[in-house]
Amino acid sequence: MNLDRLLKKVEKPARYIGGEVNSALKDPREVSLRFAFAFPDLYEIGMSYMGMQILYNILNSHEDFFCERVFAPGLDMEEAMREEGFPLFTLETKTPVRDFDIVGFTLQYEMSFTNILNMLDLSGIPLKRTEREASDEEYPLIVAGGPCAFNPEPLADFIDLFMIGDGEKLLPAICRLYEENKNASKEEFLQLACRLPGVYVPSFYRPQYKEDGTIKGFKKLYSKAPDRVVKCIESDIDDLPLPEKPIVPFIETVHDRVVVETFRGCTRGCRFCQAGMIYRPVRERSTEKIVSYAKKQLESTGHEELSLLSLSTSDYSNFEPLVNELMEYCSDKNISLSLPSLRLDSFSFKVLNELQKTRKSGLTFAPEAGTQRLRDRINKNITEDDIYGSIEEAIKLGWKKIKLYFMIGLPGETYEDLDGIAEIARRIVDVNYMINGRAGGRFSVNVSVSNFVPKPHTPFQWEPQDTYDDFVEKHNYLREKLKMKNVNFSYHDSPVSVIEAVIARGDRKVGKLLLDAWKNGCEFDGWSEKFDIEKWEKAYGSSGVTPEFYAERRRNYNEILPWDIIDPGISKLYLMTEDQLTTTTGDCRDTCNGCGVNKYTECPNMGINGRKEEQ
Amino acid sequence: MPRYVITFSKQGLIKYTSHLDMVRLFKRAFNRSGIYLEYSNGFNPHPKMVFAQPLALGYTSEGELLEFDTRDEYDADDIRNMVNKNMPSGIRVLRCVPIEKEKKSLAAKCCAAEYRITVPLPEGHETPENALRERFLAQSEITALKKEKKTGEMKPVDIKSGIRSLEIKIVDNKILLTAILDAGSSSNISPELLLNSFTNFIGLTIERETVEISRLQIFM
Repeated sequence: MNLDRLLKKVEKPARYIGGEVNSALKDPREVSLRFAFAFPDLYEIGMSYMGMQILYNILNSHEDFFCERVFAPGLDMEEAMREEGFPLFTLETKTPVRDFDIVGFTLQYEMSFTNILNMLDLSGIPLKRTEREASDEEYPLIVAGGPCAFNPEPLADFIDLFMIGDGEKLLPAICRLYEENKNASKEEFLQLACRLPGVYVPSFYRPQYKEDGTIKGFKKLYSKAPDRVVKCIESDIDDLPLPEKPIVPFIETVHDRVVVETFRGCTRGCRFCQAGMIYRPVRERSTEKIVSYAKKQLESTGHEELSLLSLSTSDYSNFEPLVNELMEYCSDKNISLSLPSLRLDSFSFKVLNELQKTRKSGLTFAPEAGTQRLRDRINKNITEDDIYGSIEEAIKLGWKKIKLYFMIGLPGETYEDLDGIAEIARRIVDVNYMINGRAGGRFSVNVSVSNFVPKPHTPFQWEPQDTYDDFVEKHNYLREKLKMKNVNFSYHDSPVSVIEAVIARGDRKVGKLLLDAWKNGCEFDGWSEKFDIEKWEKAYGSSGVTPEFYAERRRNYNEILPWDIIDPGISKLYLMTEDQLTTTTGDCRDTCNGCGVNKYTECPNMGINGRKEEQ
Repeated sequence: MPRYVITFSKQGLIKYTSHLDMVRLFKRAFNRSGIYLEYSNGFNPHPKMVFAQPLALGYTSEGELLEFDTRDEYDADDIRNMVNKNMPSGIRVLRCVPIEKEKKSLAAKCCAAEYRITVPLPEGHETPENALRERFLAQSEITALKKEKKTGEMKPVDIKSGIRSLEIKIVDNKILLTAILDAGSSSNISPELLLNSFTNFIGLTIERETVEISRLQIFM
């Protein structure tokens, strides 16, 4: 069976053909290391992820490395491949994944984990590292990185080596080390690799449990492995290369545009936000570099849209000049500029009004919680005045669609906070009447509610999650409360949120849950039409993993957490302090809040540990 | 504004891109080449660029046609060279010629297209006789099953009048059908219908994924 015939049977076959403009093409016989970069979701999702393009570009800039891409095949393609015994292959050279030296998975969201197992299986690679070890066959080294690697334990049974933190220098260093030690055993290689900053080798640690199921400690099985793995931090991101020639997909991807990262990290300190904690400290790219990359990327791809990437676009310190320069460049070239997650101050309005001159898409606000008390508790530094002031401005400028994002199940939430959500929606509708009158035409407020999932390395990492029943009750309550004219209500699937919480704060025992769920047929769990709670419930039963223990339980501050093996730079004391506060903590651009990350690196905002040279 | 027509071929795995993918691909290839297309006015400006006929996903082609207006005047050969430099492998611009602007678009002027359909003969299948073409064309009606758009039902249609020419050859255990079929606004016969009708006629059950279809040229 050849690929050509396979492709005639499936939907969107261009997902599997490779050969896009700017994709890498090398002679595999002339390189000394072949790396398969695996994204555990569909092509359209993975190709929208900037990190892959960054690392792909860096690895391929080494003449003797060849990095190729592989994505999770769609269900129809998987079925056809299994039927024909066609192994999972890379897009660039259609080489079976199992023939690579290293296979690297990016861990972007927990609900993609079953796809990792499925991709290994489709490659003909045994899922567990112990099975691979015991086999006479040689298999690729399986590595993983990305935000979810900050709690590597749920995948520790399957992955040989995790990379924690910034990957721009760490990933090529791992590849170089592997290439230089090709004749060494896997064990010998791992012993060398675990000394690199940010490298976690799960086989060098054995977690020990107490009778109540919590962790007693980690027993080190290789004495030279670090006690805790400190995340890899690149202090200066201005020197880190972005691709000048990003790959141009043939088919439409989720974000079909060029993207330039403006800064890494966030200074706001929202207590639920994992990205805001693990990417500290904030590090900016110079305006000069951003503009230069933007122009080069647009020229080399022919894309019609440019976007900026960061955790909070308008927090970039040189934001106004940057945006003015980009707007000028884009305007006479029919290129649209898109600026996600803007804070709505007067400049942002000016910019948005300019960018959306002709067609005003919806305007999005994320108050996250319905009352000031709860917003203070989660450190979402936004007041009622901020919200209604911006809304009024937006409606006056002609916006007809307001999107509101909230979370429910936040620590300290009461039904009063749910009433607050409805109140905000009602008042926005009133503001519109006030400005446009009763006959003011089409206007809508879309209230979108997601379920709070406590994440590792955040102040809320000890907090219990609402139960499934709690969520359902709250959704029902909100549905009634939000039965208002011009208001639409949508919410996330609760069973998914519970499983996400179980995996996010899981220990190694959760590996069995993942394995059993996959054996029951789970994959693409992030896709609501594919998610099957019955299969997961069956896996709860067979693995002994329960939501009660992993999601709904309040964890004690003294408890050793599965992810304590990883040092994210910020101190546990800071997280505990933040967890207990009911008042807000300021932006760290204004004042240092003592998260401690500058123990390992220089923080541009200086901070609690002083300047690095003074240490 | 100057107007040009490009003739290009589409070969290899890139045949699995759709018509809309091709629109995006050419738009971006022009951008990369530094060739400025003329844009429509209005709220949602789009480049003035149109294909003579959409090519079905999975078909290769020897001669697709694309018409477009540019903001500035270019040498037609320069356009061909610049665009070729910026194309992914599989797409090749064969010719570029300037044309006069007229009311009728390229799409409206199309009337027929030539296709080659390659059908492998399964092991042990009796090789069809030489007079096959004559017998097939001598039918008073050449019926094929066509899916009704609304109901989704398979209904027989007579495609005889839409077949302008047909040649049949058997090479290396493969049947090669070369046909010119109607491809205009008033009559349009998909090569899938010819394939369906022909295989039924000779009593051949085939798996569609074993068949290759290539468009050889488009006629005005």
